[in-house]
Amino acid sequence: MIEDKIKNLLYEADQTAGGPVPLSANLAAAVRRRANRRNIVNLVVRVAAAAVVLFAFGLWSFTAKKTRDRQRILALEMQIEQLKTQTCATLNLIREVLDEDRKQRRLNELQAQLASYSDPLREIQKQVDKTAFILVYQANRMYRELDQKESAIDAYNRVIELFPQNRWAEVARQRISEIQNNQLNNSKGDLI
Amino acid sequence: MAKTLDYEILVEKFSRGDETAFDRIVEGYSADIAVLANRLLGWPGDVEDIVQDVFLAAFVGLKKFRCECSLKSWLFTITINKCRSYRYKQILYLRFFSRASVKASAVLNPNADNVLMKDETFDKVRLAVQALPLKYREPVVLRYLQELSIEETARILSISKNALQVRLSRARERLRRDLTELIG
Repeated sequence: MIEDKIKNLLYEADQTAGGPVPLSANLAAAVRRRANRRNIVNLVVRVAAAAVVLFAFGLWSFTAKKTRDRQRILALEMQIEQLKTQTCATLNLIREVLDEDRKQRRLNELQAQLASYSDPLREIQKQVDKTAFILVYQANRMYRELDQKESAIDAYNRVIELFPQNRWAEVARQRISEIQNNQLNNSKGDLI
Repeated sequence: MAKTLDYEILVEKFSRGDETAFDRIVEGYSADIAVLANRLLGWPGDVEDIVQDVFLAAFVGLKKFRCECSLKSWLFTITINKCRSYRYKQILYLRFFSRASVKASAVLNPNADNVLMKDETFDKVRLAVQALPLKYREPVVLRYLQELSIEETARILSISKNALQVRLSRARERLRRDLTELIG
């Protein structure tokens, strides 16, 4: 009962409100136009989204590449620095070795040069020997060839006096002794 | 039955790319959809935008329509969804731009009140219908104004028959309470 009343009231209220405004005649065409527009908008949105994604990807890859390149450059710079350091160390070592070698060669040269020099003491000794020999030789000639016994003894004594440690001083002593022995024998012969 | 078969053929033709079939569908159902939208939105009169939206959705989705229900039911379902979206957008618009309260949803279309409702009694009735919550208003409009069967109404609203009966009962109770002096 109430349902019928309500239904009637609603029906009458709807009737008095009037129907909707008449729709345009080309409704289907308008709908198709809107559908086409929507398709275009969807397409544009998709293309734009794809473009944005591509752009973002490109930007990202460019940035990533840049970062990678920068890292690679940094790594290479570090390697170059290390190589420089190693090269410097090696050069220093080579320089030190060359210096050492040069010093060694110089030392060898100096040693060779030093070795080429004769010993001055020996030279003096040789000269002393030579002088002593010459004095003894002259004394011998005085005694044997010129028969100058006194002069010869003086010469032998000079050798003994000047070069007492030399072997020619010993020879001079022997000669003096021989001369004195000879004089003694001669004087004994004369007495006999 | 013949009409149903006719529209099945139209859907089939449209699926094959014949766009004149769509013209015939629009021609055949636009009036019903306009009336339904007009009633669901509180008799604003001008519902062409909503009708266009409904047919636009139908144009896009018609190729996927499998004829499991009638084309009319399917279009009515779309209409209900579009009307919900429309009202929801209007509520949001009012809330954000005019600082009006949510209760303004009951007076969404003042033109309808001023121009079309001359009779105070029916004015009250229409206001009472508009004041109903959506889940009660839709069954009332479909069942009592569109005069659809219980089965079809339940199918369009995607609810069970029992749920529909409960909603109708509660809607009647509210209307009876709001329109006591008219119903008695």
